[in-house]
Amino acid sequence: MLLLAFQPTGDSFAPLELTPSLEQFTIVFGDSYYPRVIGETLALAVGVTLSSVLLGYPIALWLVALPPHWRPLAMSIVLIPLLTNVVVRSLGIILLLAPDGIVNGAIGAIGLPPPGNMLFTHGAVGLALAQVFMPFMVLALYDNLAGIDHRLHEAAASLGASRVRRFFAVTLPLSLPGLRAGISVVFLMSSTAYVSATLLGGRKVRVIGMDVWSEALQNLQMPLASALAVVMLAIGVGATVLLAAFFARLTPWLAPTTRRPRAQRSLRPALARTLVIVGDLFGVASGRVLFVAAAALLVFPLVLVAVQSFNDVPQATVAGFRAFTWAWYERVLFAGAYLDSFATSIQLAACAVVCTLVLALPAAFALVRHPFRGRGALGAFWMLPLVLPHIAIGVGMLRLLQWYTAVPPFVGLLLVHVVLILPFALSLLRPTVEQLDRSLEQAAASLGAPPWRVFAHVVLPTIAPGLAVVAIITFLMSFGEVTLTSFLTTARMTTLPVRIYAEATFSLEPTVHAVSTLLIAATIALLAVVNRFVRLDRVWHR
Amino acid sequence: MTDRTPHRGLSRRKFAFTLGSALAAPAILSLPVRAQIARGSELVIGIWGGAQERIVREHCAKPLEERYGARFNYVLGGTVERRARAYAERGRPSFDIVYLNIFESRQAVRDGVTQAPSERVPQFAALYDVAKLGGYGVAFNPVTIVYDKRKVTTPITSWRDLWRPELRGRIIWPSYPGAQGTAALVMSARVWGGSEQAIDIGFRKIQELKPFAAIQGSQDQLFQMFDQGVGDVSVEFGSFTRSYAETRNPNIEVATPSEGQAIAMNVACITVGTRNQALAEEWVNLHLSAPCQLEFAQRIYYSPTVRNLTIPDALRTKLIVGEQQVAGLVDFDWDLIIRNQAAWTSRFNREIGG
Repeated sequence: MLLLAFQPTGDSFAPLELTPSLEQFTIVFGDSYYPRVIGETLALAVGVTLSSVLLGYPIALWLVALPPHWRPLAMSIVLIPLLTNVVVRSLGIILLLAPDGIVNGAIGAIGLPPPGNMLFTHGAVGLALAQVFMPFMVLALYDNLAGIDHRLHEAAASLGASRVRRFFAVTLPLSLPGLRAGISVVFLMSSTAYVSATLLGGRKVRVIGMDVWSEALQNLQMPLASALAVVMLAIGVGATVLLAAFFARLTPWLAPTTRRPRAQRSLRPALARTLVIVGDLFGVASGRVLFVAAAALLVFPLVLVAVQSFNDVPQATVAGFRAFTWAWYERVLFAGAYLDSFATSIQLAACAVVCTLVLALPAAFALVRHPFRGRGALGAFWMLPLVLPHIAIGVGMLRLLQWYTAVPPFVGLLLVHVVLILPFALSLLRPTVEQLDRSLEQAAASLGAPPWRVFAHVVLPTIAPGLAVVAIITFLMSFGEVTLTSFLTTARMTTLPVRIYAEATFSLEPTVHAVSTLLIAATIALLAVVNRFVRLDRVWHR
Repeated sequence: MTDRTPHRGLSRRKFAFTLGSALAAPAILSLPVRAQIARGSELVIGIWGGAQERIVREHCAKPLEERYGARFNYVLGGTVERRARAYAERGRPSFDIVYLNIFESRQAVRDGVTQAPSERVPQFAALYDVAKLGGYGVAFNPVTIVYDKRKVTTPITSWRDLWRPELRGRIIWPSYPGAQGTAALVMSARVWGGSEQAIDIGFRKIQELKPFAAIQGSQDQLFQMFDQGVGDVSVEFGSFTRSYAETRNPNIEVATPSEGQAIAMNVACITVGTRNQALAEEWVNLHLSAPCQLEFAQRIYYSPTVRNLTIPDALRTKLIVGEQQVAGLVDFDWDLIIRNQAAWTSRFNREIGG
């Protein structure tokens, strides 16, 4: 992709030039159009990130405050949307905001004039993106909040601090590292997303991902598309660095070297007192409102999808219930080739998980146990596929398609999936390996067990629950991947999400809702299985 | 001399045989190729999902499965992704047949990605002339003006009607590139004295229509916008809009402008380098057969591209049927359009869509 970005011409059959040319970048920055679209995209991403923070905090706090045995169930509210197809969740938002949809109905029911046009606005796209990415924020925050020492809260409370004040004085500062991680992930992902914007934005909302797609595929101008992707990548990396610097200033106590803390500027006492009073008055109530809004945003679209799967309407996006029907399920289970695709998806995901674990486990051990030069850089390199927009990888892969098709289709697809899910597997496995008690291994070894026996009888049983969790989460990720797979899918290898996406390109029938409902049910079942091995609330906990 | 005679005779016979073979070769090659299809052959077809896939499975795949034990694999998705992949795989295709739109298909033949149509497909002879370019046209699906007749009370009869002052701010313009956006752009140029070669007037006239109620990127999106009352007029495929009007929104009307509806056509294209030429041709022939064409017409109002078809009268009025109506479709200089697509996209984004 980098090579493509520095090509002088847009001819798709021209051989690749190795001397870099800045031609494509002069097009990108030649006039105000692309900078404007990039600006609009970034503004949208900032909005989505801020609303994810606002909505994510109450959910994360609620999760932490729950008694431990309720947490797994509550956690599934976050995990299920996270593991449901993006197209389907965007459809859920369409159903939510449609003129005959629930929001308009609810507003009408309480006697206010319904707002009517809510789709095809920046707000709708922002809402959809927040729905899609907020779970990442919740997980990042939860991770951090769960680690905060309870006694700090008790101490603050005993000194007379109200709940709101405790949040701002104790919880917020201590959760800043989690906030940083959440903000980086949500910002990066929402600045490169284009599926939701395409479905909900009605082309009035322009995001740079759409231009990458259009230039690469509609106009076959791969170099220009790659140049745009490179610009976005640079912005993403820049934003991550800036965020890191910004949060480092906010959290001086985390700095490795002890610097003399600079004098903190504090608010004038009168102003601070007013803020505390206002906060105490409205803080708890607004927190509750935000919590309800966030929970509704996570769950409602999926409920609507499930309801719609029984609705007798001609197209998937028609809101309003007309009549009950099993027809869509019948079509999914008996008529179409959905089951074939389903089988392909299952096989692919299963193989991808096995390969990923085989690769990720030694890597995790190496990263945790053997400090070596460049460990940090290597760890970052492994995470690279997380930062790169999938659409850009797809564009790059298209150029490699000739070589790719020489590989047996299943193997090719498998390789790509492994590359995509490996970073997740690694980041999930690292804490599991870190928690291993080395003295057990040493004890076994001192009793004469050869290394393979130590591994089989000591290490493996100890990390089995962690492995199972990683396996299931990565399985679901591979199972749901669509952006890249749709570029590379070959005839015998049509996965289920690609089939759903393919139908979306022609005319969406409620069969997609039936498929999605089945998938949601399957996801819940799988999560229940995970829950037997390890409590769900520990899954993302490092 | 004596010893030469028999040799000369043999030579003459040989010559005659060689000449005869040479003359007969094209005839043999153009014989129906059924005999060459090995049992259990496989075909890879790139096509749209949904109703289209279901119909070809029933009418093209099933008979061939029964006849040859052939197997069919479908790569589903939109034209854009399919075309990009077919181009990336030029010369070593993983597809045997790709379905493209009219403008992409002619260009693909010129770029050596897909084959020009040939008489080896028996139904080729029955195709309308315009459906014989750049592959085998399998369905006419013209683009025209569609509108909400409650809001637009004077019926629309011309492309120029889009410039009626009362429609200002109520038009949902189709995004460019794409079949609808291309038709809308070129028709705008044509009705105001321009053409594909003189597109500038088109851009300027479309700019006059701003502000738009919205820009639509797909038929599904347009129908949602009509449902919501975002706007009242747009440019869209007549076929799908008719289905939409019949099932969801009876207020929507499909216009028949005096200048004609803009041609759009789905084209079955056999790739250059396919290893299943004969089977692919049989597939295309089945797609052009009466049962398949009728099914497409009944289910999604795709107009047939072959002449030898009897269509029920009730259906006829909703389709483009017969030499005269087909000739009335406005065809464009697609070569020029494709060559300018990147430049026009850039201009559209800056002057109209942005």
